Amino acid sequence: MSIVKHRKNPNHDAQAAWLFLLPSLTGFVLFVVLPFIMVIYLSFMKYNIITPAKWNNYKNWIMLTLDKRFLLTLGNSAKFVLLLVPMHMLMGLVLALGVNSLKKNKALVFGYRTVFYFPTLLATSSIAIAWSMVLNKDFGLLNYYLGLLGAEKIAWLNSSFWVYPATMLFSLWKFVGGYFLYFLIGLQGIDKGYLEAAEIDGATAWQKTRHITLPLLSPTIFFVFITMMIGTIQIFDEPYMLTGGGPGDASRSISLYIYETAFTSQKFGYAAAQSLILMVIVMIITLIQFKTSGTLVSYDRE
Amino acid sequence: MSLRRTLSFLGRFTVIVLLSCFALYILVPILWMISSTLRPPMDSFKLPPAILPSQFELENYQIVFQKVAFGSFVYNSLKISMLSTALQLISSSMAAFAFARLHFRGRNVLFIAFLASMMIPAHVMGIPRFIIMSKVKLIDNHAALILPAIFGAMGIFLIRQFMLTIPKSYDDAAYIDGASKLYCYLRIVLPMTKPALVVIALQTVISTWNDFYGPLIYINSEAKMTLPLGLTVLKGVFMSGNQGVILAGVLLSLIAPLVFYLFGQRFLIEGITLSGLKG
Repeated sequence: MSIVKHRKNPNHDAQAAWLFLLPSLTGFVLFVVLPFIMVIYLSFMKYNIITPAKWNNYKNWIMLTLDKRFLLTLGNSAKFVLLLVPMHMLMGLVLALGVNSLKKNKALVFGYRTVFYFPTLLATSSIAIAWSMVLNKDFGLLNYYLGLLGAEKIAWLNSSFWVYPATMLFSLWKFVGGYFLYFLIGLQGIDKGYLEAAEIDGATAWQKTRHITLPLLSPTIFFVFITMMIGTIQIFDEPYMLTGGGPGDASRSISLYIYETAFTSQKFGYAAAQSLILMVIVMIITLIQFKTSGTLVSYDRE
Repeated sequence: MSLRRTLSFLGRFTVIVLLSCFALYILVPILWMISSTLRPPMDSFKLPPAILPSQFELENYQIVFQKVAFGSFVYNSLKISMLSTALQLISSSMAAFAFARLHFRGRNVLFIAFLASMMIPAHVMGIPRFIIMSKVKLIDNHAALILPAIFGAMGIFLIRQFMLTIPKSYDDAAYIDGASKLYCYLRIVLPMTKPALVVIALQTVISTWNDFYGPLIYINSEAKMTLPLGLTVLKGVFMSGNQGVILAGVLLSLIAPLVFYLFGQRFLIEGITLSGLKG
């Protein structure tokens, strides 16, 4: 081994390395670095693609603090995070614990896993079209069955209150399978020895879950939590397809607002400034992950 | 003891009932979609909604192909997802080989820079990328959707992680026999990286197939649209008239990702384990 190392010419290695990196590096420069510089530059400019970009005296950044719709849509995205993330965490975990408790029955586990997971493979935008029909006030599946139970018709997508429960119902259907699968894989990785030892000591099912399974699952829980936060704060397809952001601005997320500022109103400079705020939020969440992952969770099972 | 067994049986029974209720929540909308598309168009909004198909009219499916360029949508989606995936696999595996196997100055810095790019939201990159594409006249061109696949931080990361698990002695043996770096990449490391490549291929093909935001900003003409975007056209034409047609389009668009999944289901789970869940 050491002989080989000596013979290797480090310069030769480096030359080959840069050749291997060439395609990715080109893509990185063209589609990451250059756009990143541009978006910062644009955030100080007035630009509509047709006329050349013009310096506009920090107006985009000043406007951010005055634009009520910006704060409102940022708040809406936060609302989506507060509603969707805990729902998915809880339901994903409950489903995973349930399916894992049946692990001796392979066929049953496979069946549930397939049913719960397959919606995550479908295009969010396409399946949202179908769900907007399920949630339709007059002809929808949901109101029809609620009606059989004696409930009034709910304007799921046309009420500034009900759009959030409606989005939750859709999001649960569409995405919980992915989180469920993460948790299930995490659970399957837990050393059975701990649980058997607790059983011998007479621990109840709840005690085992609370004091052994959940702490050992904490790395997975934390990973899923952070990934979900980052994904949900950028929520776009669901409001775009289900409600178009409505009624009014009730379900307009920040990503949807940025998209409209750029591609509908042609204010690319202002949209760039808005998107940078979103980026800073995502980066803060990511950095919190790096800082806390060592202390908040138990990595005992490594 | 027998009380304990009864309790545990009851517990399992409850778990199965609850999980099955949730499975129904997933399945009923799909069954309703299928049944609705098989109704004759004039019954489209008729209540009660059908859960199980009672009719087998295929007219809705015919209308889908007549009223919009559905065949083109399928072709475009296939073309874009296949080419993006090929590009992503070649470029990411090459970069991963450099990061996992070769020594060069700035390796760690570059690797961290690549990874850091994952923190940038798609909607931040969307605006400048759109401007770049319009400057090089690639708006309404599939290249605008395919070319960015040349860089994929997640792909590079996962493939590199996998390559690190392959013993270096294989490479060293080849180098002693006078093999070139290219030979070592193509003939030795790449074949052993197959599981990771399949995972990346599946993830890329499914996410490209399902991408909505990209086609939404770059593609204007109906003939060039992908399935998710084309469905919005279908929706625009039929929303108030016949929901069966729209659902037929939606159902047809869902087939491919499911086929991809069935083909590689066991690899996808491997991928989740691979992506470093353990932190």
